[in-house]
Amino acid sequence: MTQPMTTQVPTQTIAKSGFPEVGPPSLVDTLRSEWTKLKTLRSTVITLAIAGVIVIGLSALGSFLIAANESSELKHGSLPSPLDTIQGGWGIGMLAFMVLGVMAISNEYSSTLIGVTLLATPKRSRVLLAKVIVFSVTMFVISEVMSFINFFVGHAIISAYPAYPNVSLTTHLVLRVVIGMGIYVTLVGLLGLGAGALLRHTAGAIVACVAFLFILPGILSALPNSWSNPIGEYWPTEAGRRLIVLDHGPNTLSAWVGTADLALFIVVLLLIAGYALAKRDA
Amino acid sequence: MIQVRNLTKHFGQNIAVDNLSFEVQAGRVTGFLGPNGAGKTTTLRMILGLVRPEKGTATVDGVSYQHLRAPMREVGAVLDAKAYHPGRKARDHLLALAQASRIPVKRVDEVLGFVGLSDVADRRAGAFSLGMAQRLGIAGALLGDPPVLIFDEPVNGLDPEGIVWIRTLMHGLAAQGRTVFVSSHLMSEMALTASHVIVIGRGHMIADSEVEDLIKRSSGTVVRLRTPKTEVVVPRLEAAGGKVETNGDGAIVVTGLEASAIGDIAFQAGAPVHELAAVEVSLEEVFMELTRDDVEFHGGGGGAIP
Repeated sequence: MTQPMTTQVPTQTIAKSGFPEVGPPSLVDTLRSEWTKLKTLRSTVITLAIAGVIVIGLSALGSFLIAANESSELKHGSLPSPLDTIQGGWGIGMLAFMVLGVMAISNEYSSTLIGVTLLATPKRSRVLLAKVIVFSVTMFVISEVMSFINFFVGHAIISAYPAYPNVSLTTHLVLRVVIGMGIYVTLVGLLGLGAGALLRHTAGAIVACVAFLFILPGILSALPNSWSNPIGEYWPTEAGRRLIVLDHGPNTLSAWVGTADLALFIVVLLLIAGYALAKRDA
Repeated sequence: MIQVRNLTKHFGQNIAVDNLSFEVQAGRVTGFLGPNGAGKTTTLRMILGLVRPEKGTATVDGVSYQHLRAPMREVGAVLDAKAYHPGRKARDHLLALAQASRIPVKRVDEVLGFVGLSDVADRRAGAFSLGMAQRLGIAGALLGDPPVLIFDEPVNGLDPEGIVWIRTLMHGLAAQGRTVFVSSHLMSEMALTASHVIVIGRGHMIADSEVEDLIKRSSGTVVRLRTPKTEVVVPRLEAAGGKVETNGDGAIVVTGLEASAIGDIAFQAGAPVHELAAVEVSLEEVFMELTRDDVEFHGGGGGAIP
């Protein structure tokens, strides 16, 4: 070797002059980094803005159409409850949260950024944990704000039509449904995040989530009752839905048990995703 | 110092890295060479903890990457030039990296200035050219001011100016005493950049040596001799241990003997010497010779183009 004793050189000759020794990074640093990643993507902001417009716009439109035509609708006996009318826009709006959840991790795979992320934080489960915390806190706050704005807009529109029944936040369980909507869509977003982490592919994860949320429950309901009832009752996203309706009928899980069912499913999904992330080659 | 011991990895049936062992020393640029598909990237990814070895270990200063206390302050790496979200601004990309590694935020502007991207720091990185992307990647690698740097094919697709910039950068980093490990499939580039090379083919070690030694060892000295008395000189050269090939233009090419010895032999034989020159063998040729059996896909070579 022409370079004797060179192994000791770096630490001696390269002063860490730019910054003092500040100790190893921790979860707090990973959280900070993930928060920067989330908020500096224009697509996050745009998707949330579109989600807000869709939710509130569709709900307002539905409230107006239904309340304005209440007499004819009432005669046919097919009138949705006023709260369901006010919340109508969420059916499509929650898809945006699901997609945001998927993208929160799948876009790191499509851009190969994941390699750099894992170089900065080789503790891979910490990366996923930080993503989950940052995503759920952000989405919870935003979806709650959206849910309350949506409620007040719908409530105001329906108030203009006294012939149609209205609800207020003080009506029994209405507050729970309005707050519950934020919880439910945040959980749907986390479902997307788990699927994205597991499948590492945007389109694949979105398809899987849509199938899980809409298609499979539909197929289940076509099964004979002795099958579809027990499965449908505990199907996580269906069980979780108890939280966002006023009346879920008899013989079904209570709102909070249903939510716990969904939450538990997501915890298991995220644990599997975390295990896969740690074990697979990146 | 990077230390690789018995590193092995298969992808399905194919062996990507085959019981590879080597060390990369500090204070110089070490080239990591091999044809495409030789296993260079897989080896680098195993050193960096992104790919899990089946067997063997890879450590940086004795510690495996996963166990480094502050990885980006100990190792900087550029694997893919475009490893960033195209919608994120260059500065935000580096900010997220700095935060994850607990590196002071002011360092972001320092490295942006160093790689010459200050003016485009607030542009979204998706619009960057390959050269700018490489610079952004290098800025990320330098964020933590690490003593060990790893670059995977850094000059791929760059214009001449970019290539010279990267070459100068690597020399500078090595001169500061850092460990610089650079992969490439271009021997000619490594001849200018690296002082030491590790050559692999199909995942196994072919050569681990100084660039100069590699040239000498693999072909020996090659000397061209032109003389009107070829028939007299050739038997004497062969008797002295030289290997002689006749060139179409009347000159002969001798391997295995120094130019001075060949001159002496010609003089003793009474042959007038019209030309006596040591032929420079390019690293490129050495590389081709070394890896001939280890290239994964050979061209059809000489056949008619269908």
